[in-house]
Amino acid sequence: MNDELIIISNNPLVIANYNKVKAINGDIITLLNYVRDSVHLGHRLLTHPLAGSLKPNESPYKSVVISQYASGLDEESLSIIEGSLQVAQKMLTERPLPQWNERIDDDFKIIDRSLLDSALASLSNFK
Amino acid sequence: MRLELGNIRIEDVKFGSKTEVKNHTLYVNKEELITLLSEDERLASVSIELAHPGESIRIMPVKDVIEPRVKVDGPGGLFPGFISKLDQVGSGRTHVLKGTAVVTAGQVVGFQEGIIDMTGPGADYTPFAHTHNIVIVADPVEGLKQHAHEAALRNLGLKAATYIGEAGKNVEPDEIKTYEVLPLFENAAKYPNLPKVVYVYMLQSQGLLHDTYYYGIDVKQMVPTLMYPTEVMDGAIISGNCVSACDKNTTYHHLNSPVIYDLMEKHGKEICFLGCVVTNENVTLGDKQRSSNMVAKLVEFLGADGAIISEEGFGNPDADLIMNCVKVEKKGIKTVLVTDEYAGRDGASQSLADADQLANAVVTAGNANEVIYLPPMEKLIGYAQPADIIAGGFDGSLQPDGSITVEIQAITGATNELGYNKMTARGY
Repeated sequence: MNDELIIISNNPLVIANYNKVKAINGDIITLLNYVRDSVHLGHRLLTHPLAGSLKPNESPYKSVVISQYASGLDEESLSIIEGSLQVAQKMLTERPLPQWNERIDDDFKIIDRSLLDSALASLSNFK
Repeated sequence: MRLELGNIRIEDVKFGSKTEVKNHTLYVNKEELITLLSEDERLASVSIELAHPGESIRIMPVKDVIEPRVKVDGPGGLFPGFISKLDQVGSGRTHVLKGTAVVTAGQVVGFQEGIIDMTGPGADYTPFAHTHNIVIVADPVEGLKQHAHEAALRNLGLKAATYIGEAGKNVEPDEIKTYEVLPLFENAAKYPNLPKVVYVYMLQSQGLLHDTYYYGIDVKQMVPTLMYPTEVMDGAIISGNCVSACDKNTTYHHLNSPVIYDLMEKHGKEICFLGCVVTNENVTLGDKQRSSNMVAKLVEFLGADGAIISEEGFGNPDADLIMNCVKVEKKGIKTVLVTDEYAGRDGASQSLADADQLANAVVTAGNANEVIYLPPMEKLIGYAQPADIIAGGFDGSLQPDGSITVEIQAITGATNELGYNKMTARGY
């Protein structure tokens, strides 16, 4: 795996099973705000924050990969995280996240992990 | 490459002692088909029901929809890499059982989406309310993981469609349509005065319930490549995704992509259709950049004057769409984009997660946030459980009487970004 990355995640399945995870104890907006702050500090986005087709007001879990080391503001990353935050806030304002039962909650964790795995497989191929 | 499509008009589907087509009626031997589909040890049970247009039936959660077809002449068979060997497809002759569809329903994950109402207001939003459907519901063996369950259901649908499609092999079609695109230089030389157009075919490729396959390969693992338009008509592209049901291309959509059929219709008359660039929509930004660079390179390399670019899905593919658009436009090649919108319930919000001023010609397939009331149906095929928790639904959306209030994103194909639906927006 590319060793110059950090996974920002609020998914317990990812936090428990992967190295180099920055665990976020909060909802998707908290997580996306953390990612935005990191981008402002000079980290690059390596995955799209809206990966997958699950809506921000549907799945409680999100894992985003960013560069481990800050290297100056990347404007493309900034534009993407700002756009993603805007979409997430809009959807959550219109309809808040429902309370899911345990089975469905577990399924969301698995889907988020699957999206992350597909990203990590690709990131291992290039830097 | 030249393909003849022989359309056999099917006006009714019934169960019978033999799977065959007689006088525009398709008969399906239910027991034989169940026996065939039950061979998969990942599945504990398989059941089959019929759903006709106008009946008070709700099908959910829909996994995939497949049109039965059969190869009559020429190399290869349907769905290469899955059902048939990996031969080159897209030439010769293929028969289509027009007016019918195999619909698979199965609950891979608890929140799974995809509603088809065969009547009522919901029927206006899905093309599969207007086909005679052979609906297959399959339960997995206990403990089967989600990835294996998805693969089993995907294969089940392809297998069923292939079995049923065979019934059309020796039937004289009601109409035969011929589609042909010549190799690049011959094609361009034949129509020197027509604008040359390429179709950029974006495919969802991100993980469980978000994948698409091209000749058996998971497209997240490939780089953009070229395809003759007729290859898709023989099932070169297979759907493995159903999350966000409104704007996911089922296998049926790929087989019938209006972008390809309409471009073929105009080929040699208004435009010179050069062919398709098949590309992916991966999770990493590196993949998005690499793929969009290659898309722009291929479109330029082909000598196109214009490109149609269609998206699949919501959110991050907006970035792929805009990257493809901007990079192709910057080579001096005009683009038209096909997408759908998540513009809020009133349609007034920003529609996409990304935008650029070069994206100045866009066709929309509708606003997925639009809310609809679906009255109760007399019969449900599939699983009722996801109803109140489906995407686009909200707390209390499933009423005790079986009615559902949902955003149309829960309806299979409602805002399909290949344009296989009725919605759009026009400026006056």
